[in-house]
Amino acid sequence: MESVGTEAANMGEREFKSCDRDDVSHLSLDIGGSLIKMVYFSSGSSSPSDDQKDSYLNDGTNTSIGTSNYNGLREKLHFLKFETSKIDECIKFISSKHLRYYGSLNPGGQDNKNLASEDNIIKATGGGAFKFADLFKEKLGIVLDKVDEMSCLVAGANFLLKAVNHEAFTYMDGRKDYVQINHKDLYPYLLVNVGSGVSMIKVDGDNEFERVSGTSVGGGTFWGLGRLLTKCQSFDELLELSRQGNNRVIDMLVGDIYGGTDYSKIGLTSTTIASSFGRAISANKELDDYRPEDVARSLLRMISNNIGQIAYLNALRFGLKRIIFGGFFIRGHAYTMDTISVAVDFWSKGEAKALFLRHEGFLGALGAFMNYEKNGFTDITHQFMEQSCEIAQDLVCKDEDL
Amino acid sequence: MANLREREDHRELNIGIGGDLNIDNLADDKSKLNFDTGKDRGSTVLGKEEQLRDKDMGPKAGSSIHRSLSRPQLDLSGAAIQGNFEEKDPAILLPNQSDDISHLALDIGGSLIKLVYFSRHENQPVNDRRRKIIKARLGITNFNRRSFPILGGRLHFVKFETAKINECLDFIYSKQLHRGGMDSRSWQTEGPNTESTVIKATGGGAYKFADLFKDKLGISIEKEDEMNCLVSGANYLLKAIRHEAFTHMEGRKEFVQLDSNDLYPYLLVNIGSGVSIIKVDGEGVFERVSGTNVGGGTYWGLGKLLTKCKSFDELLELSQRGDNRTIDMLVGDIYGGMDYSKIGLSASTIASSFGKAISENKEIDDYRPEDISLSLLRMISYNIGQISYLNALRFGLKRIFFGGFFIRGHAYTMDTISFAVHFWSKGQAQAMFLRHEGFLGALGAFLSYEKHGLDDLLVHQFVERFPMGAPYIGGNVHGPPLGDLNEKISWMEKFVLKGTEITAPVPMLSPGTTGLGGFEVPSSRGDSLRPDASKLNVGVLHLIPSLEVFPLLADPKTYEPNTIDLSDHGELEYWFKVLSEHMPDLVDKAVASEGGTDDAKRRGDAFARAFSAHLARLMEEPSAYGKLGLAHLLELREECLREFHFHDAYRSIKQRENEASLAVLQDLLMELDSMDEESRLLTLIEGVLAANIFDWGSRACVDLYHKGTIIEIYRMSRDKMQRPWRVDDFDIFKERMFGSAEKKPHKYKRALLFVDNSGADIVLGMLPLARELLRRGTEVVLVGNSLPALNDVTAMELPEIVAEAAKHCDILRAAAEAGGLLVDAMINVQDSPRESSLSVPLMVVENGCGSPCIDLRQVSSELAAAAKDADLIVLEGMGRALHTNYNATFKCDALKVAMVKNQRLAAKLINGNIYDSVCRFEAATSPSPSLSFS
Repeated sequence: MESVGTEAANMGEREFKSCDRDDVSHLSLDIGGSLIKMVYFSSGSSSPSDDQKDSYLNDGTNTSIGTSNYNGLREKLHFLKFETSKIDECIKFISSKHLRYYGSLNPGGQDNKNLASEDNIIKATGGGAFKFADLFKEKLGIVLDKVDEMSCLVAGANFLLKAVNHEAFTYMDGRKDYVQINHKDLYPYLLVNVGSGVSMIKVDGDNEFERVSGTSVGGGTFWGLGRLLTKCQSFDELLELSRQGNNRVIDMLVGDIYGGTDYSKIGLTSTTIASSFGRAISANKELDDYRPEDVARSLLRMISNNIGQIAYLNALRFGLKRIIFGGFFIRGHAYTMDTISVAVDFWSKGEAKALFLRHEGFLGALGAFMNYEKNGFTDITHQFMEQSCEIAQDLVCKDEDL
Repeated sequence: MANLREREDHRELNIGIGGDLNIDNLADDKSKLNFDTGKDRGSTVLGKEEQLRDKDMGPKAGSSIHRSLSRPQLDLSGAAIQGNFEEKDPAILLPNQSDDISHLALDIGGSLIKLVYFSRHENQPVNDRRRKIIKARLGITNFNRRSFPILGGRLHFVKFETAKINECLDFIYSKQLHRGGMDSRSWQTEGPNTESTVIKATGGGAYKFADLFKDKLGISIEKEDEMNCLVSGANYLLKAIRHEAFTHMEGRKEFVQLDSNDLYPYLLVNIGSGVSIIKVDGEGVFERVSGTNVGGGTYWGLGKLLTKCKSFDELLELSQRGDNRTIDMLVGDIYGGMDYSKIGLSASTIASSFGKAISENKEIDDYRPEDISLSLLRMISYNIGQISYLNALRFGLKRIFFGGFFIRGHAYTMDTISFAVHFWSKGQAQAMFLRHEGFLGALGAFLSYEKHGLDDLLVHQFVERFPMGAPYIGGNVHGPPLGDLNEKISWMEKFVLKGTEITAPVPMLSPGTTGLGGFEVPSSRGDSLRPDASKLNVGVLHLIPSLEVFPLLADPKTYEPNTIDLSDHGELEYWFKVLSEHMPDLVDKAVASEGGTDDAKRRGDAFARAFSAHLARLMEEPSAYGKLGLAHLLELREECLREFHFHDAYRSIKQRENEASLAVLQDLLMELDSMDEESRLLTLIEGVLAANIFDWGSRACVDLYHKGTIIEIYRMSRDKMQRPWRVDDFDIFKERMFGSAEKKPHKYKRALLFVDNSGADIVLGMLPLARELLRRGTEVVLVGNSLPALNDVTAMELPEIVAEAAKHCDILRAAAEAGGLLVDAMINVQDSPRESSLSVPLMVVENGCGSPCIDLRQVSSELAAAAKDADLIVLEGMGRALHTNYNATFKCDALKVAMVKNQRLAAKLINGNIYDSVCRFEAATSPSPSLSFS
């Protein structure tokens, strides 16, 4: 797949050609604080390789899930994202797609005859669905039908966990293990959506859930603080930096306090971080004296560990063994997942497990998409459900590309 | 491709431990570095110095009969017991109080060294004759009822930067703490110490710096487990210090009275560089259940990188002027200004800390450091609060105590933590903070000595004092101590040069400009700032083992001495104004009392500055010294006077007025004796009220003095005592005394008379009342102050006054003899007192305090002993009957008599006017222990 981060600078101005022959319908949006996530459905003949052209934010997270319907057309769910600050790109994209069918009152979805022009409605969730409602109306004549964020996240996660066989995986010590979850034994679980902030939702059933906690220390914090500290231009650049860093330069370790010895009585080894960024206090160094890589590394560990810890504590409250992490903060980033996993494993003494999702960032958008279902558009999910094996194989192939 | 290049530290877990937080560079300003050294505050609470000074000055004018210290009938201890601590009296000192016992413990954290040390009362030369009397008294009385004697002294709390560990070493050396303290001479006479001293220490530095201590001071560090120390320190503070814990919500600090029997379990969260979360189930029973590496070190470390602040306190101070909305992404930012109320998120909720920094084309320099600091503080405080709550929830704990130097009494920090706990627990759990937040570990290490002697001490045996410098040492780091009075005065002189900038409150942003890292806007604002940004002051803990709870309190647990609640800001301002206005007059008197020398003037200035600084400090942070009541404020003034060696500012005034009053006593007694019983009782109470007008503590009364002689004013006032008084229970009292058609007269067995002022008040008011009670066969115990306060009569002065009065009155003389007040000159001290007299005794005890008010939770052991058989209490004067104890209830009958000499108090308390009278009689709340016989 694409190399990470390098093409980020190209995102800016791009000509949107309406070259796709796809019929695009049922588009949904999740407009978050920093990213806009889009899911849309297409049926057409374009090949998967063509889809790659539509990949904005080329960080490997823009994907599509394909299936074939009985007409022999290749039908796909496309997953795209844009930066919220560059919402114009998103609007241009939608406009370029000549999105003709806006979903509702369009049972079946494949039927091209119903042109419900008065129903220029897109399902949308996330705070931006409120904030940018006027903008969509003005630029595209589209009405955003706001869907509750939490229910979207849950619906999206439930869909993925049920419909896509190898959606969830554990990540420990660099080892990724897909987890086969029995549909009947899915609930309850804790869904942790790490976006700009973090929401923690206890999911008890298809539409049964409760937001039980959250924290403001999330992806936005990593990116925001990281930008201030390293002058990185993008989230992915920052993540990349962190891979090359060494947190020991800045973090105060137990050994720093105990003169190199452990505080083993309470299970703290000398390399345990006693205080994130704690070393910066005593050294006569300024920000510029630290390598951005090390700063990014410390920051990532601090935030990942914190999320893992709070998630575990909440899982504990409700006796949940499964904690599923989603949201764009994670981005399949190995170190992030590792840190979160270690935190959950440590605090739960191995009792609880951290699971990650391949479509981590699109839960909300997918959930909004699922919301069409309520308006009679049910087939897609069923199709995907039925053909989940095929999809899974598809995904596994892609995974090997990584 | 998703490989990891750096994996070596993957398995490390990021959990914080309690290293400590770095601190400021304010220590550079050496002029501010000071604290109580414990050696320039010679005054013990129990009047030793009075005796000594009295001795130095020779016999007082007018005392023709020597008073005696012997009051053997009471089987009490004398004040001398206190003065005797320094004398290595084996009955009082710890039996093993020798060189092998250290009086110093350390907690060496990653950034701060906390030091707790113990000092005894200053060793003073003791007069031989007095010692003889004391020894004799000890032989007679059986004071020491404890199974294990306790050492009295002071507990000091000091801190240093770990980076400047040499300052700490110098400090220990200069105070000779590694040899058992400054006053070691007095108990090292048995042999010089050549052994290496072992000092208890905790914290990571106890390992890291062990060699350094060995090299420089010859100290062997004995390492104590950190968690253990934190817990035992917290347990001790929560049990021993009355108002140690407090809540802090929306800018309001409220002290919490904890039942030490119902303390466990609780969650202890120690926020140092990292954070340790400990479940405490009992004494020594605890478990570290969690922690986080996002702690004080993170705030300071990240803050330093982001703001270039030079010190922790600078960073903290910045935050007070910050607006986190410029950096934090709020729910409103995402939702276009709307709430996401469905899940309880308001628009001002922080959705993502620092989340706004992602979308704007700003660099770090484009943000105000103030805003960055606040965002960071919110993020970390809120996170700690949340993780703490989640852990409390795991174990069903309702109480969470937060300690460690990160907090520093900082309002935002505490508000944010409290908010997080309150929000997530839906009000079920409570965040509480500790005044000695930073010293848990060091105190715990101190307590780990096998024989520290503090085990048995109870809450009423601690008195916390705030010597000069205390207002400025709260969050600050000390340098060299102020060695003696002279240094202290010099420091005050330097202080006043920059006084305006130090004491002037800094105008702050109006409240509510900052969105909280939680869900609402905190109302806490930094209304003003100390340079060290700390909101807490830690004083010197005086351990006075002889203090006891007054046994006649109906319910000691709910007893609150202060009638006036100074948490009402208007009230606070008023009393500060009163005290400020009174200050020049007080300074004049104080200087005059010391002969008006240049030295006295210099000390007078220093006192005025020091006390003004205390007032300014309390004005901006009323609970800086703990819970503040009027009694504390008045006592603080007396303590401050003593600190600058003004031991009795009103000495000459008191003498003059005593003499003048004694001169007319005979006339008064004759007048009284001509009356029948009932009208005499009324006249006596009127007399107490009338005489109570002579009060130098009252501005209004001071003005009156120039208008006539004492007896004139007295008679005039008495004649004006038109009943009914504003509060008038006289008839009930009278019926109790004389009986009525239905009731038999009641004869009191023993009355405790809490006296107020010198001069007319005691001589023409209380003594005649005492005489009447004696005449009716009631034993009378006059309860006087242990130390001077204003013109209040002290227990040391009372025998002299009684002796003089006895010249005019046989009743008083017989009773005084029976009470041992007149025997001193006549009999040898070894003799037991004569029991020849038929009279009931008149006795004098000291009350254990040196304030115009009295906190009955902390009284001298002799008063407590005297109270055993008492069935009547008479509280006289504003300080003891109105400012304090007006609402107190007792197990025996109580009469509260005072003239209100303050318009505001009159209006507030009794809905009356200045010079209104209060005569409040309350029968025992439970059956009186006394026998009734007709």
